[in-house]
Amino acid sequence: MNISTRWLREWVSPDVNDIELSEKLTMAGLEVDQIAPVAPPFEGLVVGHVVGCGKHPNADKLSLCEVDIGTGENLQIICGAPNVRKDLKVAVATVGSVLPNKLKIKRAKLRGVESNGMLCSESEMGISDSHEGIIELDSKSKIGDNVRSVLDLDDQIIELDITPNRGDCFSVLGVAREVCVNYDLSLPELNYKAAQKGNKSFKSSVSNPKECPKYLTRVIEGVDNTASTPDWMARKLLRASQQLHSAIVDITNYVLLELGQPMHAFDLSKINGSINVRSANKNEDLELLNGQSVTLSEDTLVIADEKSAIAIAGVIGGMGSSTLESSTEILLEAAFFEPVAISGVARSYGLHTEASLRFERGVDFNMAGYAMERATELVLEICGGTASEINETVDSKSLPKLEPINTSIEKISKVLGFDLDPSWVESKFKFLDFDFKKNKDDSWTITPPSFRFDIRIPADIIEELARLYGYDKIPVQRLSIDANISNAAQAKISSNELSNALVNRGYQEVITYSFISNEMHDLVDPDSKKILLQNPISDDMAIMRSSLWPGLIESAKSNIRRGHHNLRFFELGLCFSGIEVEGQIQKIAGIISGNRHNSQWAEGDREADFFDAKSDVEALLNLSKKDFKFEAAEHPALQMGQTAKILKGNDQIGWIGAMSPKLQKKLSMPKAFLFELTQSEIEQGKTPSYESFSSFQASQRDIAIVVSQEISSDELIHSIESLKQNDLIDVNLFDVYEGEHIEQGSKSVALNLTYQSKEVTLTDEQLAEKVSKIVGHLESKFSAKLR
Amino acid sequence: MDLKALDDSRVHYLGKKGELTDLLKGLGKLSKEERPKMGEAINEAKVQIQKLIESRKEELEEELLNQRLLDEKVDVTLPSRNSEKGSLHPITQTLNHIQDIFTKAGFEIELGPEIEDDFHNFSALNIPEHHPARAMHDTFYFDSNTVLRTHTSPVQIRTLERQKPPVRVIVPGKVYRCDSDVTHTPMFHQVEGLIVDKEASFSQLKGLLIDFLRAYFEKEDLKVRFRPSYFPFTEPSAEADIECVICGGEGCRVCKKSGWLEVLGCGVVHPNVLKAVDIDPEEYSGLAFGMGVERLAMLRYSVNDLRLFFENDVRFLNQF
Repeated sequence: MNISTRWLREWVSPDVNDIELSEKLTMAGLEVDQIAPVAPPFEGLVVGHVVGCGKHPNADKLSLCEVDIGTGENLQIICGAPNVRKDLKVAVATVGSVLPNKLKIKRAKLRGVESNGMLCSESEMGISDSHEGIIELDSKSKIGDNVRSVLDLDDQIIELDITPNRGDCFSVLGVAREVCVNYDLSLPELNYKAAQKGNKSFKSSVSNPKECPKYLTRVIEGVDNTASTPDWMARKLLRASQQLHSAIVDITNYVLLELGQPMHAFDLSKINGSINVRSANKNEDLELLNGQSVTLSEDTLVIADEKSAIAIAGVIGGMGSSTLESSTEILLEAAFFEPVAISGVARSYGLHTEASLRFERGVDFNMAGYAMERATELVLEICGGTASEINETVDSKSLPKLEPINTSIEKISKVLGFDLDPSWVESKFKFLDFDFKKNKDDSWTITPPSFRFDIRIPADIIEELARLYGYDKIPVQRLSIDANISNAAQAKISSNELSNALVNRGYQEVITYSFISNEMHDLVDPDSKKILLQNPISDDMAIMRSSLWPGLIESAKSNIRRGHHNLRFFELGLCFSGIEVEGQIQKIAGIISGNRHNSQWAEGDREADFFDAKSDVEALLNLSKKDFKFEAAEHPALQMGQTAKILKGNDQIGWIGAMSPKLQKKLSMPKAFLFELTQSEIEQGKTPSYESFSSFQASQRDIAIVVSQEISSDELIHSIESLKQNDLIDVNLFDVYEGEHIEQGSKSVALNLTYQSKEVTLTDEQLAEKVSKIVGHLESKFSAKLR
Repeated sequence: MDLKALDDSRVHYLGKKGELTDLLKGLGKLSKEERPKMGEAINEAKVQIQKLIESRKEELEEELLNQRLLDEKVDVTLPSRNSEKGSLHPITQTLNHIQDIFTKAGFEIELGPEIEDDFHNFSALNIPEHHPARAMHDTFYFDSNTVLRTHTSPVQIRTLERQKPPVRVIVPGKVYRCDSDVTHTPMFHQVEGLIVDKEASFSQLKGLLIDFLRAYFEKEDLKVRFRPSYFPFTEPSAEADIECVICGGEGCRVCKKSGWLEVLGCGVVHPNVLKAVDIDPEEYSGLAFGMGVERLAMLRYSVNDLRLFFENDVRFLNQF
């Protein structure tokens, strides 16, 4: 909310400058986003009176003016504005003055004629962007007066960021109250009483008193709505960012800004019969003041005449019953609507109005009467007319209750952590308009005023005291030492350990959005469940990712487009297979593309391949010191024949493979390798347990066999291991060969066997026997031939 | 002469069939008187020759070694093999930095789901259905009861459902708001903190957060100020500002000329929040705080555009 300090100071004016005042408000919880002067600094502009105005002898578009600025000697000034004319009161920049755009006014000759000053526009004075001509001052302005004071340009505008609990501060009155509380000042009492000479009664009723506990109307006849809004009011409205309309509408807006009570003015001649406040009927239509037509929903509270709805309660009026310049009979409305009844209504129609903002946050239920009198006063003063008595419908049962609150100095001190002086506390209660009494046990019973509807529980009162004491003055204390030492599992592998394993292998971590496009989902993980956002930002961010691959692929793609080809990325994050907690699974995934290493002098370039990716995955798996298996498999995003699922026991915990050529083509991607693991499956390590090692010599034996290409190396090794041969401590596959000298469809595999006994040094004979058993096993199981 | 030639000479004189050996063998033919004299002379010659050969050998070996050193000389400034260094994302580094500070102060780390139900994200945090704060949260919905969490605060509730006080946790994580422009991304990170204990006061919260901010920005005299603010789940509530780390409090574009930067929100946990998890607010009090990780990362690493964090451009990532 924007508020002019001049307007605020009409209510209460502490003896500090505007900057100090705004800092105080910020520190009291009304955050000042900005404070800015209405006009930038300039001096030397005075009110002038154009006493003569004729054409410049040498230029068609220039006027030659004679201007009285009260010095006894008229100035000859040349002016190019189309609206300059005789008898106009103007802003004259005299010779020597400097305008905000740094233009220094000098005596000058324009087309051969001397000019002694300049007549200014609003933009030249820096108060608006209007270039439409020079500013036309009020004809009553005194010649020679300083323009700054005539236009009140030393006023400052404070932009307040009001928190949702302080709906009471959405008005000059509300902010003025805050100023009073903070500076120990008192506010003048509200005292409005408009002359009441008419006797036109108007009937209004309320069908939903729970949602509208208070409804006030008043008829004013014989108004002149063509009257112009006075300058002082227009200026305040504009400085509060409120546009100008007709006088009557401006007055209702003025009262809203001044007292925080939304008001509405109907054109009485357009109301059919009496008014009823009720819920909208089914399929009831209403054309709103802003020209929008809406079909009302049945839970919307409306103001209706005997024919139809004429306004959405607390939000906006209808077009049909609105006041026009020609209106002469008006019906003013001031009501109290329950915040819950109004909350969300405006938004459901795509609206956001000053009235709905205030009713949603809460309005003082005692303000409607004051506001009605205040508005009436202003209407009578500006537009004339005769006011009749106020028609008031009140359901006091439904009005908010001011419940007493109990608290004590001990409670307050416990929460804040230091002791407050009870007499200081009581003095603040007074300035806050809290009604309080001290009980026998020294606690207080406090009843807040009707405008502080946010004060309901002791914590609310403690907060008031804390902020008035000043958060900055509250002493600083340390937490007491009572730290739990939790059960820290040593073998648990943290996200950071996993990340660092990859970082040390040249990977860069990326963070991508958790929502992806439908297209990426279908391309990468079509078999998983689609979890759709109801209100996505865009189609590209519509589905919760089931895999980290889409984000990694997009990251790689955009970097490749920028000319970076050797990429290694990884990401950790939740992936989603359902909206319940169990469906949200933390994964770690990576992508590599391009060469394994950047080009360099020592080695030739080599494109990354499956086994580079596999070694990176193993770097992660090895952290947990558990056994994992890779098994050939198929995945929609991966290339057949270069895809494996990763197993822990019999449980699948991840995937690795080359991106399928089909996907590469769809996404215009070069060759890339992807892997993904479920983090919970690899983060549980093993606490090491020492086993003594043999002091006898280990022996190596190599065998080379020819087997069918279909037999995987894992199968061979596991099969050897399954023999559980004594003293065989390692089996290592060190060569695979296909081609010349090997039968089509077969391959040669070389295995290195390491034997070591804990008791003896094994003899050649013993070793030969063990090896021949293994060869025999491979021959019978895989039809292997020893080479 | 090389080592081979030298060895040949050795064999020639000292070998089994060498000249001196032959002379020794011939001693027997000499008279008793001549024999010791001659023997001595031969042995003397043998020692001399051995010495000469030895020293020559050392010389030759030295020469050889020098030659080898010359041959094996490399340009040590050449780049090493395969030295690509990866990097942790700046947001992760910031999270680590924050977590390190708080874990030293005895805080545990808690995580929670990102798809949340209405109860944990709103109702239990004292944000009932019609609360204006809901409209301000720009929530992503899956259905009327299921949302992408708009803050890490629901993990406060999940922690207290699971664990009885005393509680001292921080919650790092991703949060989501339906908002995207120059200064907003639809996903960002927060760190939430929660303390529930029999004695936990606003002044302790102030002390803790001042200590944290000074540790985070590594500036012992960093100016910190607390302003009253509003959050539905705390009361009293505060926002903490630090002196602008860009201009040192002089006033600049980043701090909107105020000299202050808002960096976190905090407060005493609202009694309704404790009641929602069956903790008696008369017996226990809670302190809570929350901060935006991107903001802290931007200030610490001088990043001037929020969106860079999620574009994953290697030219950006390489710098961390």
